[in-house]
Amino acid sequence: MTTVTYVEHDGTRHAVDVPDDDSVMQGAVNNGIEGIAAECGGGLACATCHCYVDEAWIGRVGTAEGAEDDMLEAVAAERRPNSRLSCQIPVSAALDGLIIYLPEAQY
Amino acid sequence: MSTPTPASLDATANAEIPAHVPPDLVHAVGITESAEFLAAPHRFMAELHDKYPPIFFSPSVTNKSAWQLTKYDDAFFVLRHPEFFTSAGSGPFPRDPDDYFNIIPLEIEPPHHRKYRAIVDPLVSPKAIMAMEGAIRGLANELIDQFIDKGECEFARDFGRPLPVGVFLDIMGLPRDMMDEFVRWAMGLLHAQDRQIAQQVMGEVTAYLQTVIAEKKANPDGGAVSAIVHGRPGGGELMSAKEIFGFVFFLFIAGLDTVFATLNNIFVWLAKNPDRRREIMAEPDNMANAVEELLRVFTVTFSGRTLTQDYELRGVEMKKGDRVTSILPACNYDPDIFPNPREIDFHRPRKPTLAFAGGVHSCMGAHLARLEIRICIEEFLRRIPEFELKAGTKIEYWPGGVVGPKTVPLSWKA
Repeated sequence: MTTVTYVEHDGTRHAVDVPDDDSVMQGAVNNGIEGIAAECGGGLACATCHCYVDEAWIGRVGTAEGAEDDMLEAVAAERRPNSRLSCQIPVSAALDGLIIYLPEAQY
Repeated sequence: MSTPTPASLDATANAEIPAHVPPDLVHAVGITESAEFLAAPHRFMAELHDKYPPIFFSPSVTNKSAWQLTKYDDAFFVLRHPEFFTSAGSGPFPRDPDDYFNIIPLEIEPPHHRKYRAIVDPLVSPKAIMAMEGAIRGLANELIDQFIDKGECEFARDFGRPLPVGVFLDIMGLPRDMMDEFVRWAMGLLHAQDRQIAQQVMGEVTAYLQTVIAEKKANPDGGAVSAIVHGRPGGGELMSAKEIFGFVFFLFIAGLDTVFATLNNIFVWLAKNPDRRREIMAEPDNMANAVEELLRVFTVTFSGRTLTQDYELRGVEMKKGDRVTSILPACNYDPDIFPNPREIDFHRPRKPTLAFAGGVHSCMGAHLARLEIRICIEEFLRRIPEFELKAGTKIEYWPGGVVGPKTVPLSWKA
């Protein structure tokens, strides 16, 4: 289990334990955190699990590449250098304490 | 896609109710065909929360009896757990048992599902859909050009039907001159209310799709039919003829009726609410929110699943093999999630809705549908800002699994 803190657009914080190898998207959806829509269920097809990785963590998480990078061009909220699709971030012990900011809108 | 539940009240008398279903949870509510539903289907959906338990069992002999879910959380749970609630065999169309085909990708579950969906995802990705904006806006204006000077139109026939059909033909890689034929097929297959007509149309559609599949096999292009014909799920072999047909056929039935019904529902409401039209026009930057809210209150489809094992949901014991229908239009009126659910509020706090279902089988055309609806509202209101239902109009609704009015006669000062 790895603790991930999700910060909603209004500032509300949720610290939840996410099983290793689940994605950051699954951690949000399985804990009722609403800022992640995840319509396609993790298929890299919908761009509705957009999140901003805390600046202090982006080096360890890594930035978007390939198909994810393309998908991010079409997200509803502003795209930033630390934008990721949360379904593409697997959780592991190395990310314990990860902080994820949720955008205002997913579509 | 939808699972029609046309259980007439009479028809439920002889329906088999499994022994494990508690009698107090059996309610023949007449979803999609009772007089109350047909009079005002979305009010009917909202009132399900007041009148019935959150999970009840609807018996039917004409269709499959099924558990009915009206809570938002329950529907999302079911849709997100295909290991307990499978969509295999849930397609809304009767198929010949001797020549059975799977509806793909709806009836394929993880992990194989993703291999199939990946074949068409690039055509409906947010980026691909954004690139279609100009073409959709152009088609919307061509259609408006045809009736704007007359001061009237039958919106469903003149706009609600041809717009999504035209866009669908473009995506599939089929010629626009097939528009009239597709409109006729869609009506015959989905709304004829006559089994013989539906079967005859099914034959015509099958023959046409088989011809197109053969043609795209010989001459690949950038459309969805070609992508499917030449697609290799998981990077392996080409699909079988049956798989290809099931895939192309699914896009055909999924792409034709849902945006049509949604637009028709929305334009009945717009015609009756001039102040809300002006509100929409005054807030162009809030258009995405307005579209989401309209999708919430005018959701048109249902999601059917079958239990793969015994499962207890909200204290209700369900058994392996039971069918479950998520009444998505009702779930989107869940008062625990959307306070004052019947109020159409374009500034409601954002929450995902179930308009496109959820989980791995969430609507692959969701981004396209949102864009089509936004463009239709924007262009129609821009060119015809003031309109109303024709005097004396009484809106009648289709029975069956896609909720929408039969005709939408509009008039305005030409």
